[in-house]
Amino acid sequence: MTQSSRTKSERETEEVYEPSRATRLFVVWRKLKRNELAVFGFGIVLVVTILAVFAPLISPYDPTWMGPSLRPPSMTYFFGTDAQGRDLFTLILEGARVSLYVGIATVALELLIGITIGMVSGYFGGHIDEVLMRMTDVILTLPELPLLIVAIAFFEVRSVHVIVLVMGLVGWPFIARVTRSEFLTLRESTYVEAARSIGASNRRIIFSHILPNILSTIIVLATMDIPWYIFYEASLTFLGFGDPLSYSWGVLLERGYLYFIGAGKPGHWWLITIPGIALFLTSLGFNLFGDGLRDALDVTTSGR
Amino acid sequence: MRENESIGERGKENKYFETRAKKIRVLQRTNRRIVLMTVRAYVIRRIIVIIPTFFFISILIFSLIHLAPGDPVQAMVGRHPPSREAMQILREQLGLDQPVPVQYLLWVSRLLSGDLGYSYVSGRLVWDLVSEKLWHTIELMLLAEIVSVAIAVILGVIAAVKHHSIIDAICSLGALIGYSAPTFWLGLIGILVFAMMLKWLPAFGILTPGVTFASPLHALVDHLKHLILPVSILIITWTAYLFRLVRSSMLEVLQQDYITTARAKGVRERVVIYKHALRNALLPVVTYLGFSMGFLLSGAAVIEFIFSWPGLGDFMVTVARIQDYPVIMGLAMIIALMVLFANLAADVTYAVIDPRIRYD
Repeated sequence: MTQSSRTKSERETEEVYEPSRATRLFVVWRKLKRNELAVFGFGIVLVVTILAVFAPLISPYDPTWMGPSLRPPSMTYFFGTDAQGRDLFTLILEGARVSLYVGIATVALELLIGITIGMVSGYFGGHIDEVLMRMTDVILTLPELPLLIVAIAFFEVRSVHVIVLVMGLVGWPFIARVTRSEFLTLRESTYVEAARSIGASNRRIIFSHILPNILSTIIVLATMDIPWYIFYEASLTFLGFGDPLSYSWGVLLERGYLYFIGAGKPGHWWLITIPGIALFLTSLGFNLFGDGLRDALDVTTSGR
Repeated sequence: MRENESIGERGKENKYFETRAKKIRVLQRTNRRIVLMTVRAYVIRRIIVIIPTFFFISILIFSLIHLAPGDPVQAMVGRHPPSREAMQILREQLGLDQPVPVQYLLWVSRLLSGDLGYSYVSGRLVWDLVSEKLWHTIELMLLAEIVSVAIAVILGVIAAVKHHSIIDAICSLGALIGYSAPTFWLGLIGILVFAMMLKWLPAFGILTPGVTFASPLHALVDHLKHLILPVSILIITWTAYLFRLVRSSMLEVLQQDYITTARAKGVRERVVIYKHALRNALLPVVTYLGFSMGFLLSGAAVIEFIFSWPGLGDFMVTVARIQDYPVIMGLAMIIALMVLFANLAADVTYAVIDPRIRYD
C-alpha cells in the first residue's frame, strides 16, 4: 500500500519536473501568448512572411512593369510609383522576399559556423578552445559594418548572395561564444556524466544530450539576429555594395535618396518613407518576437 | 555611580570601536594596494595580449584581400586596361608578383614602422588621407557617446525604479522603436523633414560651402548647425541600445539582497538607488562602452555617407567602392586598433571599479 502510493507520488513528481516535449512547448506558447507585444511581433513576422511567400499572387503588377512615373500613393498604386514608373507596392513585396531570404539564409550560415566552433571549443576544451576563442573574441570586437564593407569590397560580383555569404562568415562569433559557454556548463552536468558512464560516444553526447538542451538559447539568438542581418543587407545595398538590379529595400532607398538629392526639394516623400517603414516594421516584428521568446524560454542572452 | 559605570562602559565600547575602525582602515588600505597590484598586472597582461591580436587582425585583413576574387591592378586601372605588359610592370612595381607570405611580411613590416603605403588611386600617403578624416569622425562619435550615455543612464534608472509604470512603458517602447529603426533610414527622414521640408538645418557637409565667415565664431555656429542632424541620429540609435542595457541591469541589481538589506537598515531610497544600486548596475554598461566604439563606427559609416560628413566612415565607403586596396587595408587596421584600444580602456576601467573580478 505504502509502496504503491510512494511510487505514485514519485511518478507525479517526475511528471511535474520532466514534462513531455509537447507540454513544454505548450507552456512556452502560453507564456508567449500572455505577452501582447510578442504576439504583435509574431503577427508582423507572420504577415511579412505570407506577403513574401505569396508576393507574385498578391502584387497587382509585375515588378518589371512600368507605368506613369512618380505617382503619389493612390487607389491604383497603393504606395505610388518610382522614377521608372514601377509600382512601389509590388517592389516592396519583392523586397520582403529578399529581406526574408537574407535574414534566414545568413542566420542559417551563421549558426552552422558558430555552433560548430562553439561546440568543438566548449566540449573538447584545451588548446583548440584557447585558439578558437581568441579568434572569436577578436572578430567579436571588430565593428561589424566596417568589417562587412571591407570584406565585400573585394568581391567583383555585387549580389545578395555575396552579402549573405560575407555576413554569415563575419557574424558567427557571438553564437560560438554562447554555444561554448552552454557546452562548458552542460559538459559537467550529472546527466551528461551519466550518459558518459554508460558508454555513450562523444557524438551521441553532443548531438542527443547537449545540443537539444541549448536549442532554446539558439532559437532566441537566431530570432534576434535576423533583423540585424536584414538591416545590414539594406545598409550595404544602400551604400552601393549590393546588386543594383535586385529588389532589395536597400536599393529602393538608395534610388529614393539619389533622386531626392538630385531634386533638392521634398517632393516625392513616398520613395524613401515607405521602404524604410517596411524595413522598420519587419525588424520591429522580429525584435518584439525575439524579446518575447527570450522571456518565455527563460534565456539569458549575455554570453560574453 | 551607575551613570559613571555606564559612561565608563560606553568609553570602553567607543575605544573598542575606534581600534576596530582603525584595523578596518588598515585592512582596506592594504586591500586597495593588493587590488591595484592585481589591476596593474592585469593591464600589463592585456597590453601584451594586444600584440598577437594585432598580428591576427593583420592576417585577417590581409587574407581577406588576397583570398577574395578581384585584382587590385585591375581595380587600379579601371575600365580602360593598358597592355598586358604594362599591367605586368605595374604589378612588379607594387610587389604584387611576389608570393603572398612575402607580400604579407613586407606589408606588416612597413605597417610596424608606421608606413601605411600609398593610395593606388590618388597616389597620396594613406596616413595623410586618413588623419584628415579621423577628427571629424571622433567629433561625431564623442558627442553622440556623451549625450546618449547621459540620456540612457537617466532614463534607464527612472524606468527601472518605476518598473511597470507609464514612464517605463513609454521609454521602453521608444527604445524599442529606436532600436528597430534602421540608422540610415532615420538619417534620410531627418534630411527630408528638418533639412528639406522645414529648412531648419543644413543636411550635408561640415560647413556651408561658398560662404566666407565674418569671424571664427560664425564658422563655429555654422559647423554646430551641421553637426545637429547626424549626431542626433546616432544618439537615437545608441541611446535606445544603451537604455535597454541600463534598465535591465538596474532591474537585476534592484532585486539583489543587499538592496533589500540597505532598505531594511532604513537607508533613504535615494541613497539606495544612486549609491547602492546604480554603481553596481553601471558595471556591465562600462564594458559595453568599449563595444560602443565599434557600434558607433558602424552607425557612423552610414550616417557620414548620407550626410556627406568627411569622416572615416564616408571615406571607407568611398575607397571600398573604388577598391583602393592599400587605403582599405590601412583604414581597416586603424579602425581595428581604435576598437582594440577602446576595449582595453573599458576593460581596465572595469577592473579598477570592480575589484571583485579576478583576472587569470
